Amino acid sequence: MRHVLFVAFRMLLHRKRQTLVSILGVSMGVSAFVVMSSLMLGFQNYFIQQVIDLEPHIRIKPRTENAESSPYVLLLGEKMEEKDRILGWQEVIESLEAHPEVLGVAPRLVSKGILKYGVRDKPVTLLGIDPQREPKASIVEKFLKNRNLQRLETNRTGVILGVLVAKSLGIEQTGKKLLLVAPNGQTLLVTVEDFFDSGITNLDDSRVYLNIKTLQSLLEKQGEVNEIIVKIRDVNRAERLSRLFQEGIAYEVESWQKAYKNFLSIFKIQNTITYMIVFAILTVSAFGIFNIIMMTVLEKKKDIAILMAMGFTRNDVLLVFMTEGLVVGTLGAVLGSVVGFGLQEYLESIKLDVEGLIRTQGFVLDRDTLLYVYAFFFSLFFSLLASLYPSYRASRLNPVDIFRSQ
Amino acid sequence: MNLLELRGVRKSIGQEEILKGIDLLVKRGEFVAVVGASGSGKSSMLYIMGLLDKPTYGEVFFEGDRVDFSKEKKLSELRNRRIGFVFQFHYLLPEFTLLENVMLPAVKLGVRREQAKERAYELLKSLGLAGKEHRRIYQISGGEMQRVAIARALINNPSLLLADEPTGNLDSRNTYVVMEIFKEINRGGTTILMVTHEPHLALQAHRVVEVRDGLILSDHPTQRA
Ligand SMILES: Nc1ncnc2c1ncn2[C@@H]1O[C@H](COP(=O)(O)OP(=O)(O)OP(=O)(O)O)[C@@H](O)[C@H]1O
Ligand SMILES: [Mg+2]
Repeated sequence: MRHVLFVAFRMLLHRKRQTLVSILGVSMGVSAFVVMSSLMLGFQNYFIQQVIDLEPHIRIKPRTENAESSPYVLLLGEKMEEKDRILGWQEVIESLEAHPEVLGVAPRLVSKGILKYGVRDKPVTLLGIDPQREPKASIVEKFLKNRNLQRLETNRTGVILGVLVAKSLGIEQTGKKLLLVAPNGQTLLVTVEDFFDSGITNLDDSRVYLNIKTLQSLLEKQGEVNEIIVKIRDVNRAERLSRLFQEGIAYEVESWQKAYKNFLSIFKIQNTITYMIVFAILTVSAFGIFNIIMMTVLEKKKDIAILMAMGFTRNDVLLVFMTEGLVVGTLGAVLGSVVGFGLQEYLESIKLDVEGLIRTQGFVLDRDTLLYVYAFFFSLFFSLLASLYPSYRASRLNPVDIFRSQ
Repeated sequence: MNLLELRGVRKSIGQEEILKGIDLLVKRGEFVAVVGASGSGKSSMLYIMGLLDKPTYGEVFFEGDRVDFSKEKKLSELRNRRIGFVFQFHYLLPEFTLLENVMLPAVKLGVRREQAKERAYELLKSLGLAGKEHRRIYQISGGEMQRVAIARALINNPSLLLADEPTGNLDSRNTYVVMEIFKEINRGGTTILMVTHEPHLALQAHRVVEVRDGLILSDHPTQRA
């Protein structure tokens, strides 16, 4: 093996510039992979984590879409109201609470509404919650500025505003009074008790929490509930459990995965695109390696012939060139990891207000070391793959043909 | 004692038969010159004797054993340990110093680096290249290159040195030097088979084999025999 390394390293060192270019090519692929993956996964994991924290793991709601298309709705017009509430919700909650995988269940009344403050108004989603039960089924309190959901219990006309709702109304402090207009035209003067800041733009820009009893009386729907939220032990089992629950419940049971299906499939597309880009970069760098080794092989036929004459086996020759590819791949992976790490540090250090699907004070990165392991694995795999053919060609050269042709 | 024997060796490339039945016996310690017109098959014969090429028909015996041309690894090992090659062209590797070029076959053999280095220094010195060990090939003359190539061929103490027109690119002065080296090596016990076009060089061997059209036309000892 010593003779193989001796020759391989000398050949690489002899063409420093080409070797360096190939190494840079690989390192670009590796650092692109590390940085792009960590940005993308960081964002996605953050988003999913927020969703899991904020949204019910499983939600039970009336089948609104069915109600609109059902012929019975047309026939029994007045009864349509029954389609947007959950009858026997207490029993549903009790049966769900009995399930060992369920951590908590809470009822909600959800409605549209408009908030008026001075001359401004803002359409919002009203979430009527039971302040006692809600914390069992969601961790909404974590996202409250003052972390006090119980204010909705003590002050029945208290509301909690999403930070972007407050911003668009021009409200900066608690204690402000504003007018809530329900879809049925009823109004109520409410007081701002707290702010809700999740970082997910569309939630912060639409949510208003208030006591379920307040909303029920405002909408004249005493005792009514139109949503039940369920918190479970293992969020990954939400889809399976929702299908299980569905069998015993007449209303629609929806997991968070299903509710966020669109986002999750966008993430899938996003991942695919990113990995295609990285794959393209790695392919280009693999061609770099292929190129340098193929060139060496073609230029060094004479040298290969004499090595074989002096006793190098075909296998030795194969290994010489494979080693060259492996060395380029390894050095490229090391350099790329260092550059990728540096870029991660840099991206994490910069502060900027990102406002899109989510709002953060900078880039959210997934700094999983496994990414480096993958990058290493990929670059080694690609460089071996790229050097395989030229190395094979080199090992199949016939020294006699080469000596003759001189 | 026989070092090498070709028995009924034929070689075809495509339709063309280049060697048409060669019988040749080389004894240990001999210095054989192979002569013949261009295209007669001298090099082809040398490649087979050097185990670089396999005959289409016929057998080759090396150091008493029949050579099995299907055993690539064994052939490589024999070439590495027992056979040295010198060609018209030097075939030195540009990435290595002269010393390292000479060391390569020993490194392949697995000789300790220090030992290989020492032997390479010794050889280069004996071939008049002392002080130039760390130069690269573009820093020496053609005659010197050929001497480095000879040193490389000798580092593993081969029993057979095959030389294909080793002086073909050299002026008379360097040709003389190379011939003196060969005679010296031969006196040391190494068997030499040298292809040459020049009659006066052939006559310095013990024996002259003349090849024509893929056959041995004549085989005579010289006065030096
Ligand atoms: N690849 C090939 N295909 C067909 N014929 C070939 C091939 N290589 C060599 N030959 C033929 O084989 C014959 C012997 O070639 P060889 O090189 O052994 O001759 P040589 O005696 O060494 O000649 P020279 O003195 O010019 O070196 C020549 O006639 C040549 O044309
Ligand atoms: Mg020839």
